[in-house]
Amino acid sequence: MYPRPIPETNRSARAAYVTLVTAVLVLWLLPLVTVMLTSLRSFEEVMAGNYWGWPKSFNLVENYTAVFKQTALARYFANSLIITLPSVLGVLILSTLTGYVLSRHRFPGNRLVFALFVGGNFLPAQIMMIPVRDLMVGIGLYDTFFALIIFHTAFQTGFATLFMRNFIAALPDELFQAARAEGASPWQTLWHVVVPLIRPALAALAILTFTFVWNDYFWAIVLTQSDAVKPVTAGLNNLRGEWVSAWNLVAAATIMVAIPPVAMFFLMQRHFIAGLTMGAVKG
Amino acid sequence: MASVEIQNVEKHYGGFHALKDISLTVDEGEFIVMVGPSGCGKSTLLKTIAGLETVTSGQLKIKGRDVTHLEPGDRGIAMVFQSYALYPHMTVEENMGFGLRMAKRPKAEIDAAVARAAQILRLEEQLRKYPKQLSGGQRQRVAIGRAITRSPDVFLFDEPLSNLDAALRTQMRVELSTLHARLGSTMIYVTHDQVEAMTMASRIVVLNGGRIEQVGAPLDLYTNPVNLFVAGFLGAPRMNFVAAKVSSANGNSATVVCGDNLKIDFDDLVETPAAGSSVTVGIRPERLRIGDPDAGNSFPARVNLTEYLGRETIVYADAGSLSTSGSDSGTGVFTIQIGDIQPFAPDTAITVGFDAGAAYLFDSNGKTLSATKPVTKI
Amino acid sequence: MMRLWRRHRHWLAPTLFILPGALLFGIVIILASVQTIWVSFFDWDGVGPMQWVGLANYEQLAEDPQFYVSLKNNVIWLGMFMLAPPLGLALALLLNQAIAGMKFLKSMFFVPLVLASVTVGVVFTWVYDPTFGLLSLIYGWFGATAPALLSDEHLVSFAVVIAALWPQVAFCLVLFLAGLNNLNEDLIGAGRVDGARGSAMLLHVVLPQLREVSFIALAVTVIGALRSFDMVAVMTSGGPFGSSTVLAYQMYEQSIFSYRFGYGAAIATVLFAIMAAFIAWYLRTLLRPEQETA
Repeated sequence: MYPRPIPETNRSARAAYVTLVTAVLVLWLLPLVTVMLTSLRSFEEVMAGNYWGWPKSFNLVENYTAVFKQTALARYFANSLIITLPSVLGVLILSTLTGYVLSRHRFPGNRLVFALFVGGNFLPAQIMMIPVRDLMVGIGLYDTFFALIIFHTAFQTGFATLFMRNFIAALPDELFQAARAEGASPWQTLWHVVVPLIRPALAALAILTFTFVWNDYFWAIVLTQSDAVKPVTAGLNNLRGEWVSAWNLVAAATIMVAIPPVAMFFLMQRHFIAGLTMGAVKG
Repeated sequence: MASVEIQNVEKHYGGFHALKDISLTVDEGEFIVMVGPSGCGKSTLLKTIAGLETVTSGQLKIKGRDVTHLEPGDRGIAMVFQSYALYPHMTVEENMGFGLRMAKRPKAEIDAAVARAAQILRLEEQLRKYPKQLSGGQRQRVAIGRAITRSPDVFLFDEPLSNLDAALRTQMRVELSTLHARLGSTMIYVTHDQVEAMTMASRIVVLNGGRIEQVGAPLDLYTNPVNLFVAGFLGAPRMNFVAAKVSSANGNSATVVCGDNLKIDFDDLVETPAAGSSVTVGIRPERLRIGDPDAGNSFPARVNLTEYLGRETIVYADAGSLSTSGSDSGTGVFTIQIGDIQPFAPDTAITVGFDAGAAYLFDSNGKTLSATKPVTKI
Repeated sequence: MMRLWRRHRHWLAPTLFILPGALLFGIVIILASVQTIWVSFFDWDGVGPMQWVGLANYEQLAEDPQFYVSLKNNVIWLGMFMLAPPLGLALALLLNQAIAGMKFLKSMFFVPLVLASVTVGVVFTWVYDPTFGLLSLIYGWFGATAPALLSDEHLVSFAVVIAALWPQVAFCLVLFLAGLNNLNEDLIGAGRVDGARGSAMLLHVVLPQLREVSFIALAVTVIGALRSFDMVAVMTSGGPFGSSTVLAYQMYEQSIFSYRFGYGAAIATVLFAIMAAFIAWYLRTLLRPEQETA
């Protein structure tokens, strides 16, 4: 290990080290902590300018219920879920298929198709903005959930294909030879051999795609307009404009928007980290 | 002067007691081989000598200097790793000179040391290559060369040959022994391969469960193991062990009964077991003979399987109620090694005989009770 | 029919498998991107007919001072984002200790990474607020008044980039921690036996083993810097007076707010051209190791 582990026997050095790291962490997360603190204060207190003192009253419940009752946040939340979940499902299905074919079938242009998937994934969103928006307007999907679901499914399939292809390519060849020797069709091989083995990859991909789609802002403002469709990210920015002086409520809304991806991350941390590093590192 | 002194070294990993009160003195120029089953602590012990692991308690001295708390680089050691651990981004030359470079030696000195090591190991042609361009045997030699350039007081080897194929392993074994003779340096070598231990060592250290079982010259250990573990660990095929009861004990003589009625007399015992106690009798496969009813002790058996190895023949024989324990074959049959080719069809009835003087006697704790046997001096 | 399928399924089945994903990605992502380049040769308000203008959009762009502001800001983003890999590495070195409780602390360090950029933008708008922000508090301790970073046209881009660095450093941290986890123990041991320690160990033994991870961190950081949009949109909307726009934001503004889709497409094409070089470089390195083994 590098740096050298602090010896287990040196209890005090270990305790001191943890304290040091905790201090760095507090500094690191300080911006977020201040928002959290503000979300606990009462409106009067915010108006009076008490941003840093100890809160006079804790309005945790009041603020967080208010943000759901008085603003459209609940609607935005529902919208985000309606957009995110089908996108994740679509990406998992499409990328399993593309990844399987690209990793296990040789055909002319295989590498080119793969390179397009990977390369497209790094394109700036603006390069496809006008035609995508035009397309959605043209087929009457502009400002509907479908516009975002279709776009996110398409875009995330790029990264997901890279991920799946590499994962399936790393499975032992013998498995596929055995399946062929036993007369399994490509579909049977996919369903009985590949899918059971790629469960960890599916989990990692699900959490990553969820985070990417949930956190999207650009396409939310490009493809939607109305509050009935807008996801939380675009919604939060709206709230900020509408509730200019009610910082405590905006703070509560900000925290609420952050909670789903952070919660997903903590629940499936192992998969998230493995996915992120494998997707990027294994190449 | 002692080259390496290990005094009462203990090592705990959390709750695991990896090294138990290890003490060992290695003389200048010795080739020490540490063997033992996996998990016995041999690699851990080597790494504590190197300084890659800390000790929980105890002391380590190299050339009389207390190095217990020194960094590996300051201990005057060099190490050859099982994986070779060559720096992949450095050429052979840079790999071999890296230690001296870290010690801020002048460039001329580094070049000279690298050139000398390369010449010893016949690596002159490879100096500009990267490790991935080399064969397994060449990488192995670069790893050794890296150790040589540092001119260490002690060379440490951690199973250095286990990644090579059989032919190369033999070749490198000979090369290492030659190198030891040429450099005359102290070397400590860890392996699980008893052929390496027997052929290379000036002294073998047998470890088991974090403890040193026995230290001695290879043939001493082979001929006079101090306990059942060492007797069983050294020698392939393994020694035959048979459970027995002491039927009578008198002075330093005892008679034991194996199975139903094989009686063996032991004289000049180091320690006499109590009559009626449980003991174990051991006899090496090459000390058993077939078809010799005149031998001091014999018992009837039936051939199970015969392996013809050309130079020798191994017969596995079933002696009915007289069964062995912990044999290579995993069954209760006897292993008999014959020094030439002799055909034995399965199911042939044979008589197996041996001299009482060739047998070993161990008490219920495994301690050797039988008299010390003469060792052929080389 | 069945027999026909059986005879051809060895290639028909894979074709059917890859088709949905390839078509969707091909049309929505690849084709759309190519189409943008085409649009950049037209004058178009997004609704009416498109009128061919050749390179006029590009010529106009070359004379547009706002374009150079965006370009300059993109360079600032790129330059400052280069801090993310070393900072991520430094944090990873700090956190790579196996002590009870360390695991939880590590996860907490990753949090900025999973936050939406809108969240990060809102959080940092707070930090920078000259009356009640964290920054004003810190300045207050020294008896000074905090500068209004987001309304200062010289400092605004730096302020936005610092906010964007927060999740980017966390991303590099994750990569480097994974890299440090995969270090070859024997090589570290060999380095110690050879007397390498501290920075010499880092430089000669550890970093060479982190080459691949460093490359990824660097490439993803470069691409991230050039793609920056969200933070600018949320924190400044390009302001004050257009001083914090980047190419991505200027393109969006020109298209959506000024209905100059052809002009926007030209900006997007320029941005794409700049990024294409990096993407190609990244792709080549990413796909190369396989060619060696294939």
